Amino acid sequence: MVLRMSEQQSPSQAGPGAPGDITHFGFRTVPMTEKAGLVGHVFSTVADRYDLMNDLMSLGIHRAWKAAMLDWLSVRPGMHLVDVGGGTGDIALRFLQRGGGAVAVVDINPAMLAVGRNRALDAGHLGDIDWVCGDAERLPLADASVDAYTTAFCLRNVTRIDAALAEARRVLRPGGRFLCLEFGRVTVTALRRLYDPYSFRVLPALGQLVTGNGDAYRYLAESIRRFPAQQEFARMMADAGLDLVRYRNLSGGIAALHSAWRT
Amino acid sequence: MSRTVDPKLLEILVCPLTKSALRYDPDRQELVSERARLAYPIRDGIPIMLVDEARPLDEGEVEGEVGAPPDLAGGRNPGVDTGGRP
Repeated sequence: MVLRMSEQQSPSQAGPGAPGDITHFGFRTVPMTEKAGLVGHVFSTVADRYDLMNDLMSLGIHRAWKAAMLDWLSVRPGMHLVDVGGGTGDIALRFLQRGGGAVAVVDINPAMLAVGRNRALDAGHLGDIDWVCGDAERLPLADASVDAYTTAFCLRNVTRIDAALAEARRVLRPGGRFLCLEFGRVTVTALRRLYDPYSFRVLPALGQLVTGNGDAYRYLAESIRRFPAQQEFARMMADAGLDLVRYRNLSGGIAALHSAWRT
Repeated sequence: MSRTVDPKLLEILVCPLTKSALRYDPDRQELVSERARLAYPIRDGIPIMLVDEARPLDEGEVEGEVGAPPDLAGGRNPGVDTGGRP
């Protein structure tokens, strides 16, 4: 896999008459049909070291961000959660630790799910979490079947974000809660001067060292820049029919927490 | 590691394509969507609910071919196009 940091190519290069069939893979423009496979390769190769890398890359700060998401969720007993893209169980385990009810983890990548299930077994959660291999754009869950939908650092990798948001709304019960934790646009100028060299130089080198796949972490840095800015993502949530849309910046906008409800 | 699928999970799982109910086949370890005519494999106890990974059903495998429910009576594959996956 070769990832280039060159400027985005013109959509017309995808062929005339098919402007809707291309998407981004980091800074590359790729056919929509290829993105899922490219993303799949990234996560399959780093699955075993994924959680370790999160700690190293963020100096452990991702834990505070995830805690902030669960704080905002207000977990209650009997609450039924679906966590999408959380294959290694990071959100699901926190949800259970805070007294949540049932949780289903839906992730498109079997390697990530295998890591999560082993981790849950080690933590003594036998049968508390349902592990399902599925696509955020085509969730295999019944309409209005869950009280809450969470997704952390996943939607950036999804080909059609609008389809994933529509699916989130569909599976939520009326009164259900949507929360998305994702990288954002850094709002503090001084921080941005550090963040860009860090993410484009340090992260790929660190990724190469720890996982043997520097390209995967170059993709990470690029995909963060490709993801809609906080305001635009908020608009997409509203367009998908979610209500009471709000967001909070975390760590100067390096990450953002997006909240909405199905009313 | 092989194990059966949680019955509670089966209550909320649907076919990702048609959103219709699934039939659990314990012998083949599959979740069958009659409407989409697809069988989703269960590997190591994890249902693989991806259209690309599903096995198309053979002609004789679809239950309820005779006296099919009304929503199946109109056509063989109502509203289903497995070729159009993005």
